[in-house]
Amino acid sequence: MPELDLLGGVLIQSTWAMMPILLAALGEILTERSGVVNIGLEGIMLISALFAVFVADKTLNPWLGVLTAIGIGAFIGLIHGFISVYLKGNQIISGLGINTFAAGFVAYSIEVFWGVRGYYTPKPEAKVPRLPAIGVSPLFLATIAITIVLFIILYKFDIGLKIRACGENPEAADVVGVKVELMQLTSTIIGGALTGLAGAVLSIDWLASITKQLPAGRGFIALALVNFANWNPLYGLLGSFIFGFLWTASEYMKNLEYFTRAIPMPLINTIPYIATLIVVAGVIGRSRPPQSVGVPYRRELD
Amino acid sequence: MVNSRFTEYLVYIGNVALAILIGLALGALIIWLGGYDPVKAYTGLFETSFNPSDYYYFATTLSYATPVIFTGLTFAISSRAGIFNIGAEGQMYMGALGAVIVASMNLPSPLILPMALITGTLMGALWGLIAGLFRALRNVNEVVATIMLNWIAFWIIEYARNYGLGDPRRQEKTISMPVEGRLPLLVKNTELSMAFVIALIVAILVYIFMWRTKIGYYIRVLGAGVKTAKYAGIDPRIITLYVFIIGGALSGLGGALEICGRPPTYAITTAASNIAGFGFTGISVSLLGLNHPILIIPASVIIGGLLAGSRGMQIKAKVPLEMVMAVQGLIIIALSVPGFTFVYRRWRIKKALRGGGSA
Amino acid sequence: MSEMCVDNPLVLMKDIVKVFPDGTIALRGVNFELCKGEIHGLLGENGAGKTTLMKILAGLLKPTRGEVIVKGRKVKFRSPADALRFGIGIVMQGLSLVPVFTAYENIVLGSRGTKPSREFVEKLMKEVGLIVPLDAVVENLSFGVRQKVEILKMLALNVDILILDEPTTNLSPSEIRELFKSLKKLREEGKSIVFITHKIREVLEVTDRVTVLRKGRVMGSVETSKTNPRELAKMMVGRDVELLIEKPPWRPNGVALIVDELEVMGDLGVPAVKGVSFSVNYGEIFGVAGVEGNGQIELAEALAGIRKPLRGRIVMNGDDITKLDVSERYNRGLAYIPEDRKVALIMEFSVLENTPLTEISYNKELVNRMGFMKIKRIVEKSMGIIKQYGVVTPSIYAPARSLSGGNQQKLVVGRELMKDPRVIIAVQPTRGLDVAATEYVRNLLVKMRSSGKAVILISSDLDEILGLSDRFAVMYNGRFMGILEPDKVTDEELGLMMGGYTYEEIKARKV
Repeated sequence: MPELDLLGGVLIQSTWAMMPILLAALGEILTERSGVVNIGLEGIMLISALFAVFVADKTLNPWLGVLTAIGIGAFIGLIHGFISVYLKGNQIISGLGINTFAAGFVAYSIEVFWGVRGYYTPKPEAKVPRLPAIGVSPLFLATIAITIVLFIILYKFDIGLKIRACGENPEAADVVGVKVELMQLTSTIIGGALTGLAGAVLSIDWLASITKQLPAGRGFIALALVNFANWNPLYGLLGSFIFGFLWTASEYMKNLEYFTRAIPMPLINTIPYIATLIVVAGVIGRSRPPQSVGVPYRRELD
Repeated sequence: MVNSRFTEYLVYIGNVALAILIGLALGALIIWLGGYDPVKAYTGLFETSFNPSDYYYFATTLSYATPVIFTGLTFAISSRAGIFNIGAEGQMYMGALGAVIVASMNLPSPLILPMALITGTLMGALWGLIAGLFRALRNVNEVVATIMLNWIAFWIIEYARNYGLGDPRRQEKTISMPVEGRLPLLVKNTELSMAFVIALIVAILVYIFMWRTKIGYYIRVLGAGVKTAKYAGIDPRIITLYVFIIGGALSGLGGALEICGRPPTYAITTAASNIAGFGFTGISVSLLGLNHPILIIPASVIIGGLLAGSRGMQIKAKVPLEMVMAVQGLIIIALSVPGFTFVYRRWRIKKALRGGGSA
Repeated sequence: MSEMCVDNPLVLMKDIVKVFPDGTIALRGVNFELCKGEIHGLLGENGAGKTTLMKILAGLLKPTRGEVIVKGRKVKFRSPADALRFGIGIVMQGLSLVPVFTAYENIVLGSRGTKPSREFVEKLMKEVGLIVPLDAVVENLSFGVRQKVEILKMLALNVDILILDEPTTNLSPSEIRELFKSLKKLREEGKSIVFITHKIREVLEVTDRVTVLRKGRVMGSVETSKTNPRELAKMMVGRDVELLIEKPPWRPNGVALIVDELEVMGDLGVPAVKGVSFSVNYGEIFGVAGVEGNGQIELAEALAGIRKPLRGRIVMNGDDITKLDVSERYNRGLAYIPEDRKVALIMEFSVLENTPLTEISYNKELVNRMGFMKIKRIVEKSMGIIKQYGVVTPSIYAPARSLSGGNQQKLVVGRELMKDPRVIIAVQPTRGLDVAATEYVRNLLVKMRSSGKAVILISSDLDEILGLSDRFAVMYNGRFMGILEPDKVTDEELGLMMGGYTYEEIKARKV
């Protein structure tokens, strides 16, 4: 039955579409749980995606590309974390800066690395192979595993209690000897690493290309997802499936004539963004953010 | 004794200068790592932006300063209210689209320019209002809402270019503003038009609005916190809507002025390539200008210079012109940490210790 | 005992100087010593430097100068973790717990390695006699229980030097008595306790020794048994602290405000005010006493119109104002002095810009028809406030944050009273002020009353309520436990009401 095949196809595709959003959201959940906000997800994804392609394409080893992306993400997380946690900088502005830098840097680097303007497609060998039986990416299984591990760490382990305490009331954590700044920095680095992995998914797994607009707003959809998920990784998994499905469905619509006749092609592209707005507008108010998120913890008044 | 407010301003200006230096220095490093000559690159950049011996380049710099004054004001007004409206990008697209719509309508010639500017302003305001409604009524994070709306606006103008408003002779752009609807150029054979003068006037008007009117006062009160606003008898939701409507209108006007005042196309080109990025660049401008409408003017000239010089940099040193965007990002990141403020605090502690010893 | 201590104190802080990054000098060379097994009172006015000194001992702040010796070793703490290694723990004023965690999670939060088991915590609770419901979420617990959680949290970390910063602030009299009992028990077990307070009565009741700070300097350190309230007060303030409040006889003159069955939602989604009725007359101060967090703020905000009530009616001067918004209420003669000065003033704004904050929304004299502010009028107003209320500031163009706490409060009070209101709501109007400023603000409120205004004074400071009000209510868990006159109530009755017994219940049981 063609309808079932279509649905199956959409579901498999959705596993790709949900991955980058989910991974970035998981990273941000950890980061915000510790009390730091990082709106530079879009930029981290983009720069990591670039280096993933660069390394995978050079070595013809996609896994080296994935590792590089994770490392680059962690490095940018480190910079943002250092600015936010130790230098008590403005976290929103730092995040905006990361996004702006990424847009310029990646467009510049595509030309530096490959001598082309705007667009590069890696060699087929640089692409992450699919799992033979089910046809999904091995990174999808890893993403599910990361979701569960992150949930367990945050809610079942002492370290999770400490991380959450830093995001709710850093002073309460500080006076009992929790190293607030170290917790926050580490969480931000890991958050960056997960976002970096999301970038690799985009550039050498799912879309297998690099442009300066590769994430196409997914970093911000991930921010919306964090809110939707009420800062809980498991709800994040659920929400990412909704967003991923909508994204995939809109791509499929472009191939179906009766849709494109009703809604012209460029407008179909707006569906994921409109859906995000509607979904987020529907749930907010019921979610409860960590109480001290985005506020640098200072012991001294100034 | 030195006035402490004055000292604080000096410290702020020190922070800005330091951030620019850090941005340019790290930019040089990246240029060098990319295999180019940073000295040549920056020489090329400044020769084609702030070249005292050729006014053409400075006119180009000012022409690039024009749109980012508007988008900078959008961000600045929202910042003053404690809101991050980063939707100037989409609001500017909508403004430009409004002007293109008017260009397509065959209006009597004296009406074209005013109608284009008004339509653009209104469409920008509408786009801001939508984000504002999400924020004010549903408490949706404005960063998320505005970015989504940026993308939606992007696809809407792509739609318009492909379906109905495209130039029948040239696929890669929309209909151009007819000659009667174009602003006069300030300097012949440059891209600098009256739009720049309008931008200056608007910046001054925004300053007066923010510091002399009741609504402007309310906006700044909201920036001190929702609790204070409510205590003052202000409905934060209504002021939030004002912030987005006014911000959207400003960027919308800026977008319309790009259509009415920028040679050679006087249109929107493929993938908005001739207006894309001005919205985000406005954030750099506003931050460099300490979110102050008047200080935004010099800040826009600095950033306008980077934009104008990027082409020269590409021609003279082969450095891809997007590099200046990366430099902007580095400057913003550097601005997130008020470096000189730390030094100032140290100095205050030392001063207090000396004073405390004798008192 | 004290001789031994002098030779070998548990904690010795020498010549401590602390300058904050904004240039304020909090400590100007302070010496402090703590002996083993004592409760040591640290007494001083707001701003004397008590908290700063103890934050340094607990590793939360680094001294600008001076040295700290703990258990015979010179230490340089970089964080509370370092201080905890030396057995020093601090319980901050206003408490620092994670509100969404359970009591148990809060108690074991700081553990290293394996976390203490429930059995261990339960045993600890019995040993020291501090029993708390371990599975309850902290934000649902009363301040008294939270205080116990805080202390247990420190004991679970094997702290033997315990610093308590104003621990009685939010407690009812019976909770205070219980706390003092626990502290004495801890002392018997060999713990040493620093008790920070500005209340002389508490120092005399519970401490063994007391060190008095004033404006960042030590004014003296004495054994509690060898001193008296008068001496301590003199050290603390530098003059007699008898507040001079002259209160002419009570002459109520017509009903100003009627509140009928008012119910108001709190921030946590449950009603914070649960059916409160009262009336206030012109020429009267109506007090609302009670432990903080029992709905007083929500009541005040509902009266001002900032919070919409769920139910009930508010009538001012004969008109139903329940549905009116904030600015219309201001327009009809209501003035509101909120608890938090950071709400009442915009610290980054100048004195001038703070002047029209609560008036510009309705006063047509401050704005022209085009919506422009009439700067000249506002300047005159600003100068007027400064002159009439003695606000010390370099100029009206100085930012509000550059003013001292006392002058900020004078600016707020002055601004609200300059509007010539009929009904004034003041919440904790003297919190954080020194004695002189406190006296000034209290006298102003009495003056308002004498000139025929209605004043609603909401305060958790019982002395303030008893000293100023003509009639007052005690608020507990969103309800009034009774409305009484200050000279017709005993301390015991007050304590019971603050702990949740209505006046009728108390009377009925007595009869």
